[in-house]
Amino acid sequence: MIIIRQARAGDEIGMQHCNLTNLPENYDMKYYLYHLASWPGLSFVAENEKGRLVGYVLAKLSEDEACDAPDGHITSLSVMRSYRRLGLAERLMSQAQRAMVEVYNSTCVSLHVRVSNQAAFSLYKHTLKFE
Amino acid sequence: MSITISELPHKEQGLFRSALKLYELRQYKKGLKVCNQILTTIPNHGETLAVKGMFLTNLERKEEGYEHIRRGIEINPKSSISWHVYGIVNRVDFNYDEAMRCYEEALTVDSENLHILRELAQIQTHKRKYEKLVETRTKLVKLNPTLTVFWLGLAVAHHLVGRYDLALKVITTYEDNVKIDPNMASEHPSVIRFMVSEILMYKNWLMELKGDHQQALENLKEIRSRVTDITGWKEQKANLLLKAERREAAALAYQELIERNPDNDNYVRGYLACNGLDMACAEDAEAVLEVIGSLQQQFPSSSTLKFLPLTFCEGDAFVKAAELLAKHALRKGIPSLFTSMKTLYSDKAKGQALGRLMEGYAIQLRDTSRFSDSTDDEPAMASMWSTFYLAQHADYYNDHESALQLIEDAIRVSPDTVELYAVKAKILKHAGDNCGARNTMDFARQMDLKDRFINSKTVKYLLRDNDIDEAERVIALFVSDEMAPKVQTIVDMQAIWYMIERGNAYRRLGDIGRALKQLHQIQSTFDAYFQTQFEFHSFSLRKGTVRAYIDILQWEDQVYTNEVYVAAARAAVDCYIELHDRKVTGTPFVAIAGEEATRPLTRNGTAKQGQHNLSAGVGEAKPAEVNKDPSGATYVDADDHLANALKFVEQLEKSSASQAETHLSAFEVHLRMKKYFLALKAINAIKAINEKHPALVPAAARMVAGMDADESFAAPMKAALKGQLAKAFGELSIEATIKAHEHSLPFALAGAKGLLALGGEGNTASAKSTLLRAASASFGETRTLDNLLAAKRLLEKIGASEAELAGFAESAKKVFSLATCF
Repeated sequence: MIIIRQARAGDEIGMQHCNLTNLPENYDMKYYLYHLASWPGLSFVAENEKGRLVGYVLAKLSEDEACDAPDGHITSLSVMRSYRRLGLAERLMSQAQRAMVEVYNSTCVSLHVRVSNQAAFSLYKHTLKFE
Repeated sequence: MSITISELPHKEQGLFRSALKLYELRQYKKGLKVCNQILTTIPNHGETLAVKGMFLTNLERKEEGYEHIRRGIEINPKSSISWHVYGIVNRVDFNYDEAMRCYEEALTVDSENLHILRELAQIQTHKRKYEKLVETRTKLVKLNPTLTVFWLGLAVAHHLVGRYDLALKVITTYEDNVKIDPNMASEHPSVIRFMVSEILMYKNWLMELKGDHQQALENLKEIRSRVTDITGWKEQKANLLLKAERREAAALAYQELIERNPDNDNYVRGYLACNGLDMACAEDAEAVLEVIGSLQQQFPSSSTLKFLPLTFCEGDAFVKAAELLAKHALRKGIPSLFTSMKTLYSDKAKGQALGRLMEGYAIQLRDTSRFSDSTDDEPAMASMWSTFYLAQHADYYNDHESALQLIEDAIRVSPDTVELYAVKAKILKHAGDNCGARNTMDFARQMDLKDRFINSKTVKYLLRDNDIDEAERVIALFVSDEMAPKVQTIVDMQAIWYMIERGNAYRRLGDIGRALKQLHQIQSTFDAYFQTQFEFHSFSLRKGTVRAYIDILQWEDQVYTNEVYVAAARAAVDCYIELHDRKVTGTPFVAIAGEEATRPLTRNGTAKQGQHNLSAGVGEAKPAEVNKDPSGATYVDADDHLANALKFVEQLEKSSASQAETHLSAFEVHLRMKKYFLALKAINAIKAINEKHPALVPAAARMVAGMDADESFAAPMKAALKGQLAKAFGELSIEATIKAHEHSLPFALAGAKGLLALGGEGNTASAKSTLLRAASASFGETRTLDNLLAAKRLLEKIGASEAELAGFAESAKKVFSLATCF
């Protein structure tokens, strides 16, 4: 049973571990706290039966707040390979996207993905219909 | 900073002001020059000396800087500038207690200085001096009641000391009197809208904390249109309705939350509670199942709703729930099926039922490609996934040979599936074949070189196999070339899993110095985790995200309870004890020189320091420097190993007092320091947690022996302590304890360790014979791989003969036939 819930303080070490295990773009603790303190409610985690984090989405608003509806931005999203095919990334993303719309009226979400990251690329392009 | 510069002529006053400006601009060299210019005319000007000192500390001339500041204060002890400067440099160097004293001193002269009060408040929060924080925050609001941050700060201060009513009053007063503060008027409307929403939700939370659920509910309704955190609002509504016993309305609210996220188990629990049901209560099982069943029909995609019944159902209902989940997983090829089920295996009946179910599926799928109760063909790979499950099932019951056979079967069917090799490697690891495990994992890695997950797993397995250099090479493949040296980057990125695995590998190799280097890196990383909150003491209040901020503070309060930290701290204590014991017995450990020393330093060893200026200062914890002292000689050559061990013990006692092992670490250190009262306290603490802890009697026996041998310890006290031990444990015989628990290898191991610590020929021989029979059948299931390896290491440590070790290996291999580690 993998639970999907909002990220909270206390999840940071688990998120950082998940990120370091899965992705080459890594961040120190301050960056995680910065997300939670600035945009609480935009980031989500997937937690397994033992309470370990097996996936997360770390989300923010783009810093440019010139327009009335600031764009959302996915800083990082990853799911442990051993927890694939459960649709976790999709579930995490849909929660984050809804929060962006509800809390900040965002109409647009952006993210960066390496073309070489096939699994992620396909998720964004085909499942989540990113352009 | 308000400036009252004493005794300076007009020209120098201007220079002094420009020096302060330069500090804010971080132009330290220029600032230093300006100070020197003033000092050539007025060499004994206290405040200029202090400010010069501040520049020096920022130019890597710390000691000289501090000297200047102290001299400046000596000359003019009534200057708030000088005390403020002294406070700042102490704060930057993390000497928070000293910094607080300086700030307080500065305030005695300049009691209404907003900068000083603000910074003091940050430090007081950081050091959890909450009562004093309330005083400081109250002053700030009085001095400038138009600033939102000050009001929020005061509310948080009351909140942190548990006076929710006062916190609420502060927020209400703020709302009534401050519409929008001048600093915020320039912000974008969406920012203000968000901030208002956060404050309203915080206020509502305070009403709840105060215990007034009705008031909170009414308030929640009122603020609805101004709240942007819809999830938070709906959660609070459900929560409050339930607390106010308005169950029907609460059920609707929870239903709505489940619709938004059917994979959050808390929502389901809340929904059940509205129906007066509790999953943890066995009597409710049937009714709970019915409710969850109906939710499942509404939300068929939720894996949480599918899984929950497995946790509380038994017998046929359990099997039925398992069927639903397992079939779905086999069809879709979900690799985590066993990992999810594993938590259920602690209930023996459930583990066996799952095994039978899967065996049945495996046969049905193999023979007919269908489940027996269906006429649809299943995907070709479903059969393979059932074999994959059974391999892990066999592994769980330590039937490694069957497990390997099964996983090989699966690999034959699907040789390109990386997950299969990862499980094969895991089985080999459990079987004690670390070399086979690493080779298998590395094979999988080469199948998908772009995947960091499999790379990380390989690194872990390489370290388990003690191949530290290869592990470093492999992990570095995922660190960009621009980030050199790469190992420093890994440490900067706070990869604690890598540090602990690496530290353990060095320990197994007997390199205590390098092991300690890794363990201290973990300490520094957790110190950095704790330090990280500092800037949020101001940042979060400016953002208005008070709920998240309180959450952060509470997390930081228990950051050292993290399992990686606990493991590292215990290991560090063990390492220091070994260093101490070897020194005492005249065979001191010598740091092992290595090739690292000749590696070029591609990055400046001194880490970037935090940015700080007079108005907003933030100290950043230094990352541990990888290239400095790679062999850990500093730790090995330390004068007092026990004092170093004690630092770790003290942290463990603070954060993990509920674990018996914490007090065992404490005991080992205190006994060696001849602190008998503290040693007894540790023994009593272990006993209070687990009176059947295997290490208890050996510890007590060692304590008696230690006191007997210590002639400097006063006889009456000795007698008193011995009396207490006798009362608690009766006759203190380690050998008798081992015998009394003849089926428990942990008791035998703890006993053997105790006997070895007591020393003497008889004890050592007795320990050896106990250890040599560690693999004998009488120990049954307590013969885990870890326990047997511990026995082997102790045998090596006491110099068992080759023949004895070979005999032990042979007996151990009867338990772990595939093991290569004996």
